[in-house]
Amino acid sequence: MGFVDYVQAVIDGLLFGTTYSLIGIGFTLVFGVMHKINMSYAAASLAGAYCGLVGPQLLGLPAWTVFPLSIIAAGAIGYFIYLTCFRFIPLASPLATLMSTVGMLLLLDEIVVHSTAGMPQNYPAIYDGDPVEIGSFILRADLLGVFLVCVAAMAVLLALLYRTRLGLATRAVAQQPVAAQLCGMRLQAVNGLTFVIAGLLGGVAGAMIGASVGMLSPLISGPITVKGLIVTVIGGLGSIPGAIVAGLLVGAAENLFQALRNVTERDIYVMLLLFVFLVLRPGGLFATARGRD
Amino acid sequence: MRKTAVLLGSALVAAAGLAFPGMAAAEERAVIIKGFGAKSGVVRSFGINSEAAMRAAADLINSKGGVKLGDGATGKMEVEFLDDRCTAEEGISVVRRIASGPALVAIGPTCSNVAEPLFGVLQKKAGDASDSGLQFPIFTDVAVKGGLAKISEWAFRNVPSEAQMYNSLFEWVKQTRPELKTIYAGVEENFAHSRASWYAVMKEAAPKVGLEVKGEAKWLLEDTNFSQQVREIKAAAPDILAIAAHPFTTCGVLKEMRRQGVKVKMLIGLTSSSSLETLQGCAREAEGIIIPTSFAPVTPEAEAAAKQAARFDGSLDLHSAAAYENMFILKKVMEEQKVMAKPDTVQADREKIRKGLAGLKQTDGLLGTIKRTDDREAIKPYLYVHAKDGKWAVLHNPLTN
Repeated sequence: MGFVDYVQAVIDGLLFGTTYSLIGIGFTLVFGVMHKINMSYAAASLAGAYCGLVGPQLLGLPAWTVFPLSIIAAGAIGYFIYLTCFRFIPLASPLATLMSTVGMLLLLDEIVVHSTAGMPQNYPAIYDGDPVEIGSFILRADLLGVFLVCVAAMAVLLALLYRTRLGLATRAVAQQPVAAQLCGMRLQAVNGLTFVIAGLLGGVAGAMIGASVGMLSPLISGPITVKGLIVTVIGGLGSIPGAIVAGLLVGAAENLFQALRNVTERDIYVMLLLFVFLVLRPGGLFATARGRD
Repeated sequence: MRKTAVLLGSALVAAAGLAFPGMAAAEERAVIIKGFGAKSGVVRSFGINSEAAMRAAADLINSKGGVKLGDGATGKMEVEFLDDRCTAEEGISVVRRIASGPALVAIGPTCSNVAEPLFGVLQKKAGDASDSGLQFPIFTDVAVKGGLAKISEWAFRNVPSEAQMYNSLFEWVKQTRPELKTIYAGVEENFAHSRASWYAVMKEAAPKVGLEVKGEAKWLLEDTNFSQQVREIKAAAPDILAIAAHPFTTCGVLKEMRRQGVKVKMLIGLTSSSSLETLQGCAREAEGIIIPTSFAPVTPEAEAAAKQAARFDGSLDLHSAAAYENMFILKKVMEEQKVMAKPDTVQADREKIRKGLAGLKQTDGLLGTIKRTDDREAIKPYLYVHAKDGKWAVLHNPLTN
């Protein structure tokens, strides 16, 4: 392998890393608002993508409908998770919500397995044409599309958080829930909406993962959950810009490690990267000096 | 008076039934056969199809009079299928549970990573009083990794020999496509069966027919991005690409090859990928892939079996077809060994079944005669299928050519 191959590996990783970013944002968004980890987030995102397949496969709708259906379904699943794993569980007990979302992860996975008998499901690409060649480099056109969709989804999220009253309420609840309530904000409504927004974003992620892989399989949810958590930690719990950059970093790093070493060693180095951050920069990429150890 | 006589008669019949419960039961007894394998997780379809095949076979056997037991009574096959989730600890636990009940024999498991440790908890040498391992016969239908039955004398398998199938396939390739000179592989590195199929089977077989092995691209079972591996394949520019991987990553690689415009002259796949899953995931990209398999509905028996399994919501493939065959083999063995299927003869019946299976030199299969080896493995008839127009079609049948 030469220099061109390594650069190519990094480019591929960066493009695919946007899906990690979206999953990382979902984790971090819920953590930022409720200070809880929703372990079922990636599984819910992929479950949304599976639901999207109902349109073309069972209802005979055009293939493109799979994308909006996936996003809507993931939003609905997000709210369902809020109701079942957070709304009625005492938030003072941090382990209770953690375990309930682990249970939800397993439940969603098993529902998918039973619905599909574990068979991989063909998922439409967002673009099916030839790759883009720039000099010695080849860029997958569909991954470029995935990259753009993910960037657009992140932009919409940031606009929602920083340019709307809902975003203001979300940030207020995240910073000072009691003060936000005293100011008339309805805590449960904001929390529920946060799950719906995170769910919609997860739907984009699930659909883009399906589109970039070309298939959905229950095999995906475990590794994506792990990647999402790594991204969240490296980016800094609660930091959306951190999750965006960390997703790209993890995507690029795993591809580079694979090219430099071997596929069987790849995840070892990604985990080492995680430990490096936990030790040297526990607050994440964009933590303030005060937040650092 | 007449009324009293009828009442008395009825009372006598009822009393006789209570006094001699064995009389009615002696006419017909349950022959309990357990199936076990993955019915959850990503290989759930294997368990579903094996269960359907077992139930289909049991239904057919029972409808034709059942199993003739040692004392002349009729045995009706009863099938129950348990989920081992494709994990070794679950598999061992399930079999221990089965062995503690009335089942005479079990068919399973799905996964080689379950079969290997599971066979390790069985008694290694039958009759060895110093070995406290489980004394329970297992007749495997799916787990295909080579040579596992030698672990225990209680383990039997009816799975195809990959070495034989791929040796034969490469011979056929040499004869029919002599212009193909090089081979490259894609290997699922973290799956025992996939690794063994390439490194121990195909990589050994290819050079024997003069094919130059140009290397292998590696990935993991749960990988989603294959761009690097496909670039490696492109750089190697092989005539033949052998993909030793299961349907999910096989499809992932084939899709990535299409995106990058990588084409090879011949695609060869893993035996386990000649299933509906591959076509469900990537029918277009898999078009033309050649896979050796031990089942296709090419004989009247195989066709009838496929229809019978479909009645039980299952699909017959190389794995579930073995489960179907196993039921008929077990029926024959039970009758020859005069199994009694009584509550007090369970262990004796298990030993008879083990002895009967061990003594088999050949059995009937859906594609023809299956030879049995001394180390309790099968040498099954096989054929080559290829993906054509979104379906598996027979490409070459060595039995008829």
